[in-house]
Amino acid sequence: MFGLIKTWKALEARGIMGINRRNADYVLKYNKRHLYPIVDDKIITKERALAAGIHVPEMYGIIETEKEIEKLDEIIGGRSDFVIKPAQGAGGDGILVVADRFEDRYRTVSGKIISHEEIEHQISSILTGLYSLGGHRDRALIEYRVTPDQIFKSISYEGVPDIRIIVLMGYPVMAMLRLPTRQSGGKANLHQGAIGVGVDLATGVTLRGTWLNRIISKHPDTTNAVDGVQLPNWDGFMKLAASCYELCGLGYIGVDMVLDQDKGPLILELNARPGLNIQIANDCGLTQRTHAVEAHIEALAKDGISEDAETRVRVAQGLFGHVVQQ
Amino acid sequence: MRSLTLHLKVLITVLVLLGVTVTCYQIFILGIPVTEDETDDLWNIDAKVEFVASPKDPVKIQMFVPPLNRDYVSLNESFISNNYGVSVNRTDGNRKVTWSARRASGNQTLYYRLVLTKRYSTEKAKIKGPTFRDSLAVEGPEKIAAEALMAPIRQHSADVETFVSETIKRVNNPNDDNAKLLLAGDNSPMKKAQVIDLLLSIAHVPMEKVHTIRLVADTPQSPELWLRSFNGSAWLYFNPETGEQGLPNDRLLWWTGDENLITVDGGKKATVTFSMNNSEMNAIRLAKLTDENTDADFLEYSLYGLPLQTQQTFMIMVMIPIGVLVILVLRNLIGIQTLGTFTPVLIALAFRETQLGFGIVLFTVITALGLSLRSYLEHLKLQMLPRLSVVLTFVVVLIAAISLFSHKLGLERGLSVALFPMVILTMTIERLSITWEERGGGHAMKVAVGTLFAASLAHLLMTVPEAVYFVFTFPAVLLILVGFMLAMGRYRGYRLTELVRFKAFLKKADA
Repeated sequence: MFGLIKTWKALEARGIMGINRRNADYVLKYNKRHLYPIVDDKIITKERALAAGIHVPEMYGIIETEKEIEKLDEIIGGRSDFVIKPAQGAGGDGILVVADRFEDRYRTVSGKIISHEEIEHQISSILTGLYSLGGHRDRALIEYRVTPDQIFKSISYEGVPDIRIIVLMGYPVMAMLRLPTRQSGGKANLHQGAIGVGVDLATGVTLRGTWLNRIISKHPDTTNAVDGVQLPNWDGFMKLAASCYELCGLGYIGVDMVLDQDKGPLILELNARPGLNIQIANDCGLTQRTHAVEAHIEALAKDGISEDAETRVRVAQGLFGHVVQQ
Repeated sequence: MRSLTLHLKVLITVLVLLGVTVTCYQIFILGIPVTEDETDDLWNIDAKVEFVASPKDPVKIQMFVPPLNRDYVSLNESFISNNYGVSVNRTDGNRKVTWSARRASGNQTLYYRLVLTKRYSTEKAKIKGPTFRDSLAVEGPEKIAAEALMAPIRQHSADVETFVSETIKRVNNPNDDNAKLLLAGDNSPMKKAQVIDLLLSIAHVPMEKVHTIRLVADTPQSPELWLRSFNGSAWLYFNPETGEQGLPNDRLLWWTGDENLITVDGGKKATVTFSMNNSEMNAIRLAKLTDENTDADFLEYSLYGLPLQTQQTFMIMVMIPIGVLVILVLRNLIGIQTLGTFTPVLIALAFRETQLGFGIVLFTVITALGLSLRSYLEHLKLQMLPRLSVVLTFVVVLIAAISLFSHKLGLERGLSVALFPMVILTMTIERLSITWEERGGGHAMKVAVGTLFAASLAHLLMTVPEAVYFVFTFPAVLLILVGFMLAMGRYRGYRLTELVRFKAFLKKADA
């Protein structure tokens, strides 16, 4: 009991945010319920992003009804690689990444050969709402398959590494690079076993990482060091993330982005309830940073100014960048 | 944000205060018992009237019955008599029953039966009484003896109370010649009372004779004489033989005045025998019975006013918030993961039918079998709705089979399964299997165990009989619960599991 109180005090002192605080002080406070569909439905997110001129993976088509599954061939056309996603999926579930065609069959990114029927069944499952939040009927989205930049080759196992930036009222507060592992099955979700690596907001250089709630500095599959890697085009990522506030209107979001080797930074999806493991990856609590941003906004509000995305990025980089690792 | 917090604080305070006030009002003012085990005495008094009727005259028997206007309340009163007309009337604070018959002969037996209990409500009607009266006429040696007695009594007393008790003491003093003269060799309480009455009347102190019955089970009773005097605000009771002041709690006032208990016209050898017994009764049932017989209908607007069947449903329903509270604490304070938000409460409700141990076994068996069926169906690539239907049907068949087997084996417990909510089980299986596929078996097991644990705990708390009684009787407690839930809505602290989850920070800090 005493030990627990000590742990509690120590975590509080370091500004570690718990789920209850995140929900009460940030998600409920800054995220208006009626805006949730924008981030919960990837198709709406994509449409909004395109309208705002933000880069997203190209959408090949949408399947809304069982009948439309017939059109799958037409949508895919001659492409040999594509991704099928549930529009309202959560936690990366129900995503099928086809890397290649193999005679009449398809090969997924993990090397599994599947038939056309299996793909159709997957789409049917998506439509019935198997993967959607709350089990509602859903739409299936077929889109461009991202090819990760070569920079990640050495520190990633299969799959597509992505970059998650937590954005509070348009100010990036914390960033993390998520690397799939053998255990996560190519998915970049931390609770499925992916690695989270902290990123310095100012420089885009990676810090140490977290894997299954532990702090690590090497990728468990490739044994290459995950820290000290310079992410290319970092300011581009930061600007992209900061501009997502205008895109969706939600005040506290996690922005998931990828670095495509041809198309550069792309927005994959937005998350209205971003996870807390990013704190372990950065070895830093969120609360102090969010408080700093809130104080900054309050000071600006007094003078009646609001800043644009570029200024916000610079403010955030000034406040939280250049982390010194112990 | 600040104003919202203030708003919330006010709301919580109001709710909690309201809940506490209503509950306290129920407990302390209305006197509703706090636990179900509290019982109250229920007295059953029989007065048996026997007499011999004269064959020629009409018969009229008048007997005093308790007025029941103070500490006791009657639950049931009956006059048992064949061929007699019965009427009850009130005179001077007394109640009198009159039995009458045109023709009767031989030995007659009439019964008066009264079931009563102490009054719940503590509010008392304002009592009135005389504070002055004229002296009784007295002549000759008695007058001198009385006056001789009065002088020291006056000297030794300060107020009505001490005056009366001093008088009683003097009259009961066997060595006092004056008292002896007045008693004229008759030492019965009745005579003493008469002498005391005389003495007090000289001092203009009003006095009444009170005839009481002692509430003691299984001992023959005859009315006991007490005296009482009004001191301006309350009646003071005195024992005419000992001067003892204050009426003991077990005395029931039967009638007041000089008249006899019973008067018989057209009959003779009238005797009245009292017999009584007491039984204990669940206090709340008793309160309800009393309620029907009094004006104070404090239970009228409680849940006890509902029909019995509905009451039983509500006994379960009022406990659901307690179960929800358990889930709330387990999830938001402890951080245990459960399947869905309120699924554990539904499972806990299902445990009511099956009992806990058996319920857990059943839940585990059916879920495990359902999961294996689900994983088989996965290969068939069915759509969700047909697949769910198949699982549901399978669950029904499984439950039927378990019921049948357990019945054949003589385990009646198995039959309760039939009411185990099948839809809950089906949804549990479906969600669990999805969790299994997406998050792995370990996570699914964790969630399943968490759900079972939460359900068991909720079930245990929801079936504590004392708690059920308390919440059902004092539903305002739910307001206090809502207050707590509201406070939890703004809880920002860590969950217990987070302390473990974020341990990585501290290990590094130590190193």
